[in-house]
Amino acid sequence: MTSQQAPVTRCDRVAPGHHLLELDCPAIATTARPGQFVHVRVTGTFDPLLRRPISLLLCDKHRGHIQILVRTVGRGTDVLGHVAPGNVLDLMGPLGNGFPLPEAGQTPLLVAGGVGVAPLVFLADVLQNSPEGSYVRGLFGARNEDSLVCWEEFAGRCEEFQAVTEDGSVGEQGIVTEYLPAQLDRGDVGVVYTCGPRPMMAQVGRICEAAGVQCWASLEQFMGCGIGACLGCAIATHTDPPNQRVCKDGPVFDARTVDWEKTL
Amino acid sequence: MPTDLTTYLGPLVLRNPVLTASGTFGFGEEYAEFEDLNRLGGVMVKGTTLHPREGNPAPRITETPAGMLNAIGLQNPGVDAVIAHKLPFLSRFSTAVIVNISGESIEDYVEIARRLETASRDSADHPSPIRVDALELNISCPNVKVGGMAFGVDPILTRELVAAVRAETRLPLITKLSPNVTDIVQMAEAAVEGGTDILSLINTLLGMSIDVARRRPVLANKTGGLSGPAIRPVAVRMVWQVAEALDTPILGMGGIMSARDALELILAGASAVAIGTANFVEPQAAVRIVEDLQKWCEAEGVASLRELVGAAHSK
Repeated sequence: MTSQQAPVTRCDRVAPGHHLLELDCPAIATTARPGQFVHVRVTGTFDPLLRRPISLLLCDKHRGHIQILVRTVGRGTDVLGHVAPGNVLDLMGPLGNGFPLPEAGQTPLLVAGGVGVAPLVFLADVLQNSPEGSYVRGLFGARNEDSLVCWEEFAGRCEEFQAVTEDGSVGEQGIVTEYLPAQLDRGDVGVVYTCGPRPMMAQVGRICEAAGVQCWASLEQFMGCGIGACLGCAIATHTDPPNQRVCKDGPVFDARTVDWEKTL
Repeated sequence: MPTDLTTYLGPLVLRNPVLTASGTFGFGEEYAEFEDLNRLGGVMVKGTTLHPREGNPAPRITETPAGMLNAIGLQNPGVDAVIAHKLPFLSRFSTAVIVNISGESIEDYVEIARRLETASRDSADHPSPIRVDALELNISCPNVKVGGMAFGVDPILTRELVAAVRAETRLPLITKLSPNVTDIVQMAEAAVEGGTDILSLINTLLGMSIDVARRRPVLANKTGGLSGPAIRPVAVRMVWQVAEALDTPILGMGGIMSARDALELILAGASAVAIGTANFVEPQAAVRIVEDLQKWCEAEGVASLRELVGAAHSK
């Protein structure tokens, strides 16, 4: 894990309110695992003050580049989404635990919701390019076509892919959790990875638990330090101690250990 | 000629005047891979209570203009676990180890102090694996329902509490004052009457943020402690006021992000400073501030940093 200055090589609007940033950062590109994140300093000033945790969307080890997907939710992410190429961002990373990879022979199903697709694109990329070449299945839900951000990046890395939108503008109409049981009923899914809105992940976790399938969920939380010192990003879990740090103990948790009732 | 940064903070002799503030640096482990802890004047560890505390529900932090609000609620594994599992790591470094302690009653503080002193005492044939150079009495945490700030806003309770701990331990005592009072000097006097060696000021300011879209408080605890550069003028003012009234050594803190910010507090009367929120923004902040202080002093021809302490006062 390092702290370093990374030149921005690309900043493109990829959907309304979503920007894809590419940064030249070999130290992170060559070491990061899917599910890990970078802690990005927004400006050189102190307003906005705190760094923003952003999932890694892709890492290109050969070019030394990383990609992150930024959704504008406030002033900090708004500034980040408008950084001009050539500017330099101060990054800490890779941080967090990342997704445990499937065991040999396990078929992974990746269930994404909205901007939560980011770490799953990276996971799909790594699984697809692994020596054993996992057969990756993807399920991606969003409100509408505009919110189905980076779906081509995701779909292109899955052997089987299903899109679901609430308004039916792309793929099936509805929400992903309505389509998850049918995926699990096929009986070949060994492990589920999910990232998206918390109510969605809670439901994915419940469905997986009922089906006896392991589920890993990547959580998001506002953070202070990003390295486990401030305890600001704690979430309620059934583990000991009951408050786990999203930045250090996560962001990926076994879905069964998360106290979803308290975290929603 | 290099400036001598050696700092005398009451009975404490520090390598330099830059420490890390409690609650912002964990127990040192997380930051050790970013910076050499031996470069610091001292590390003030996470608030420690007699029994383990789960802390407050999430969300616990939010950002405000040039600042942040936190309501962690003193999550920590309890003093025995801190002694057994946390302090041995930090004690391997040559920086001062200061344990911030907090309780729900005076008896809690006394008991924690007693356990820390006992555990850190070397015996004839067994050197202790932990070192405790001082205790910081946290009588000003705004985020716990029992104890915490209740002690720090009442001068009689403050005096009683400090005196009770003073009677129990020979460790240097630092009392961390709350800025959430009308008269900071009155609180400082009470702590000094109780026997504190050093005054730490300031803790966070009680604040609140409301999510307009949800029409609800952002923090689960509703209120939180405001820190960051936004509060620095308050810290400078309070250090100044206490330094005008008392000769007790002051450890200044509150929104220090740079050596220049640290110098403001030193010139106002602080003998040393602690870096808090800046650690989150830049994990190497405290070491950078030490380096920049050294450079600034040398460029200004300052022989010893001690000559700057309180130098902005006309007395």
